[in-house]
Amino acid sequence: MHDWRADIRARVSSARLHPQDEAEIVEEVAQHLEQQFAELAPAVGAGPARERLLAQLGDQEFDDAIARRRRRARPTLTRTWSATSLWRDVRYGLRSLRRSPGTVVAGAAALALGIGLTTVMYSVIYGTLIKGVSFEHSARIAGIYYADPARENDQIPFADFVHYRKEQRSFEALGAYFIGTANVSGGDRPDRVDAARMTAGAFEVTGVRAMLGRAFTPSDNDPAAPPTAVLSYAMWRDQYPADSGAVGKTIRVNGRPYTIVGVMPEGFEFPLRSTRIWLPLQTDPDTLRPGQGPGLTVIGRLRPLVRFEQAGAEFATLSHQLATELPPGAAERRAVVEPFVRATLPARVYSLLYAMLGAVLLVLLVACANVANLLLDRAVGRTREIGIRTALGASRLAVIRQSLVESSILALLAAVVGTGIAQAGIVMFNRAFTDNPPFWIDIRLHPPVLLFVLALAIVASLASGLLPAMQSARLDISAILKDESHAASALRVGRLSRTIVAVEIALSSAMLLVAGFMTKSIVQVRAVAPRFASADVFTARVSLTSTDTLRQRQFFETLEHNLATVPGLSGAYLGNGLPGTGWRGGMRGGPLAVEGRAYARPQDYPRARSLAVSPGFFQAFGVAVLRGRAILASDRAESQPVAVVSDAFAQRYFPGAEPIGQRIRFREGGSEGEWMTIVGVMPTLYAASIVSASEDHWPPEVLTAFWQEQRLSSANIALRGSASVASAAILRKVVVALDPEAPVYATATMDELLARSNWSVHLFGTMFVIFGIVALVLAAIGLYAMMAFSVSRRVREMGIRMALGATSADVIRVVCRQGATQILIGMSLGLLAGAALVRLVRAMLFEVQPNDPVVFALVAGVLGTVALVACIIPAIGATRVDPVIALRTE
Amino acid sequence: MLTDALKKGSAEFLILSLLEAEPRHGYELQKLIESRSDGVLTFNVASLYPLLYRMEERGWIVGRWVEKAGERRRRFYRLTAPGRATLDAQRESWREFVTAINRVSGVRYA
Repeated sequence: MHDWRADIRARVSSARLHPQDEAEIVEEVAQHLEQQFAELAPAVGAGPARERLLAQLGDQEFDDAIARRRRRARPTLTRTWSATSLWRDVRYGLRSLRRSPGTVVAGAAALALGIGLTTVMYSVIYGTLIKGVSFEHSARIAGIYYADPARENDQIPFADFVHYRKEQRSFEALGAYFIGTANVSGGDRPDRVDAARMTAGAFEVTGVRAMLGRAFTPSDNDPAAPPTAVLSYAMWRDQYPADSGAVGKTIRVNGRPYTIVGVMPEGFEFPLRSTRIWLPLQTDPDTLRPGQGPGLTVIGRLRPLVRFEQAGAEFATLSHQLATELPPGAAERRAVVEPFVRATLPARVYSLLYAMLGAVLLVLLVACANVANLLLDRAVGRTREIGIRTALGASRLAVIRQSLVESSILALLAAVVGTGIAQAGIVMFNRAFTDNPPFWIDIRLHPPVLLFVLALAIVASLASGLLPAMQSARLDISAILKDESHAASALRVGRLSRTIVAVEIALSSAMLLVAGFMTKSIVQVRAVAPRFASADVFTARVSLTSTDTLRQRQFFETLEHNLATVPGLSGAYLGNGLPGTGWRGGMRGGPLAVEGRAYARPQDYPRARSLAVSPGFFQAFGVAVLRGRAILASDRAESQPVAVVSDAFAQRYFPGAEPIGQRIRFREGGSEGEWMTIVGVMPTLYAASIVSASEDHWPPEVLTAFWQEQRLSSANIALRGSASVASAAILRKVVVALDPEAPVYATATMDELLARSNWSVHLFGTMFVIFGIVALVLAAIGLYAMMAFSVSRRVREMGIRMALGATSADVIRVVCRQGATQILIGMSLGLLAGAALVRLVRAMLFEVQPNDPVVFALVAGVLGTVALVACIIPAIGATRVDPVIALRTE
Repeated sequence: MLTDALKKGSAEFLILSLLEAEPRHGYELQKLIESRSDGVLTFNVASLYPLLYRMEERGWIVGRWVEKAGERRRRFYRLTAPGRATLDAQRESWREFVTAINRVSGVRYA
């Protein structure tokens, strides 16, 4: 059939009539022509008939008809988009939202949760990764390190740093430091504080001036210069009650006098928040060859307009030059220049935090989907209103805009509430965050974070408003105005809203899966049995200022003896570390050799974590050897070196053989230690790590004899007994009696230490669990709303079914079958996506494999149950339908 | 064939009288005028609608979209009170005109 309307519209369009006038003339004339054509075509043939009628349209007289239809001005775009009309839309939107408070509360609450969680996550990322260090010209502050693909990234030896400082042109300030602790005396009791050995350049890079006196100058770093010290504000306040005359006084550090030259201002907490005192790096570079000297963290401020890549290229060249001076056989190392935060934080922190941001964006998406569905339901209820608006001349654009204005009102409301939620979340996050975070981390609602919230609100209003808006704009006006009962079918929301719900379920099952793995991790962490006593064990560290090795040994031997006489203690331990968190050898353990075996490459050496322990270890921590003997009091410096290995060690390195009687030795810095005879095998003890939850917690372990150590300048102490006896006060009393200058510090119970090592699992795990629960609740609400809506539209059908003899069970089955499809599709897709997501957050998993079927089953079970309940409630409602009433309702 | 001016003048009168009995839509009006004038008066969309819209503008007739059972929505025109007055006035002047013509031409009414 010929489309006369298109021809007429083309003829009329140039007149730019009001849309409604245009529509009317097109319709009227088209009907006329259709009828004429139907009459004419059989007589003269379709072709000629069409030509004759089209000729009529071309007649000039028709212009007169068009002109007479110009009854009102065509609305112009400026009118549609003027401020007053927008304001009118806003007021209209507010009025119409006030009529449905349920939608407002549910929609705004869902979006507020989504926006709040996302904002917390973004504040964390902004404060940790994006904001950078809080110094002047922070965008130009760089960190420089040696990249080593085989190992963790490495610090730069002092000799190399001196070379770079001399040769480089990229930085206007370049400095270096290493952190440690120092015994400081002068106050009421000796104290061990966090200290940093710095070059003058490091102060220069920060650009922070001393509050009193001065910071270091290059002359302080001269090896021959008298030792100087710069105090932190906290130390100045506590030790020299804010005395402005403190500068010039002498402070004893590690038993030596240092002259105080300056006090830094409050808030200068660098390189650690806990740093209390800065001491000058006074190493003499002339005695060192490349690759030698203490390992340093190098920090620099780029010259203006120099890019990180340029500086990186320069340092790569310099490190290549240095390699020619290295002793033969030493591996060449490449210096890397990166923005300070990126150079300092390991890549896994980035991937974890961004994975979490991705996760909360999923939650936000679920919330948007919910609101979209809510608005869609509302659009159905308002079909007639929209039809009338359109008939009265509202353009599609205006209808879409009205809809978007309403979703924007919801989103803005949600943004305000969400910011409040975020603020609360940030407070909780900071409380649970590590005690001593890196100095630049500052997590709060920074202005860029608030901008992010605004952007989120806009995205959320578009994401949740556009679909319903377009759907309403597509309505057929005449169909709506004719008959309201068919209006809903004109709005084809059924399929759309079912798709939205399926997507919601998919997103939330992905989230829930991650939450499931996190929950299992948290449960595992809590339930872990370390295989050593931790409940009534008090720990501390004692350091000596004396450098006389004989006196040091005497001190600790007497300390061991005196502690043994304290009544109420059931065990006292001295060693160079603590089980659990304090194993020596780093994450992977130190390399060692077994006698009689050859190792071709450095990576072939077995690795083990180790502790040098006093005989009291076994009593204090309640550990019994499985075979052989423990470390005994008779294992002294002059007797044969011995070791006790863990079960895991025996199984990995002596499979099927007896390790007792074999000899092993550690390799430290490329040199070999003394051969030690294995005398016993103990159960494998728990090894916690604050770095990564996913590593091996039951690694090969070696215990050596503390009294066979060469140097004993400090020791970890563990006392077992009730809290009143095994305490800092008792230990201090015993220590001070021996040496009034020896500080007792790092005091904590073993339980606290273990809990502290798990903070990242607890914190990030809990966050994922919150995300998962919120996503689940939102998806359940979404499903419930969709089912309730669908049931309300099928009341008549249910009435008929029941009138024809359907039982309640039949009705429930019919309703639930509809929801079950969405649940199944959404869940399958979501679990697949979730499995991929879990791999991203692997570092947070504590002894759970990312493919653990139990977690999958559990998550599917929880989600399925919740989803079914969300379906069944409306279904039960459907069974209460009275057939008589249902059949009467239209 | 009548001249255009005469056609236009008479067409308005014809339409008004056709609408006197009941509301009609555009196509129906065109057919009725054609058949009642034995094909002497013919219209097409280009000539009919300017006329209808002008009459509507003058307030003689008014177009309304009306839906009848089993039919499409169509625009029906009906006579308004001013339209009826115009029709009466035109009828009167027509009658006077015809009487005058008769007197002049000596043609007698049957």
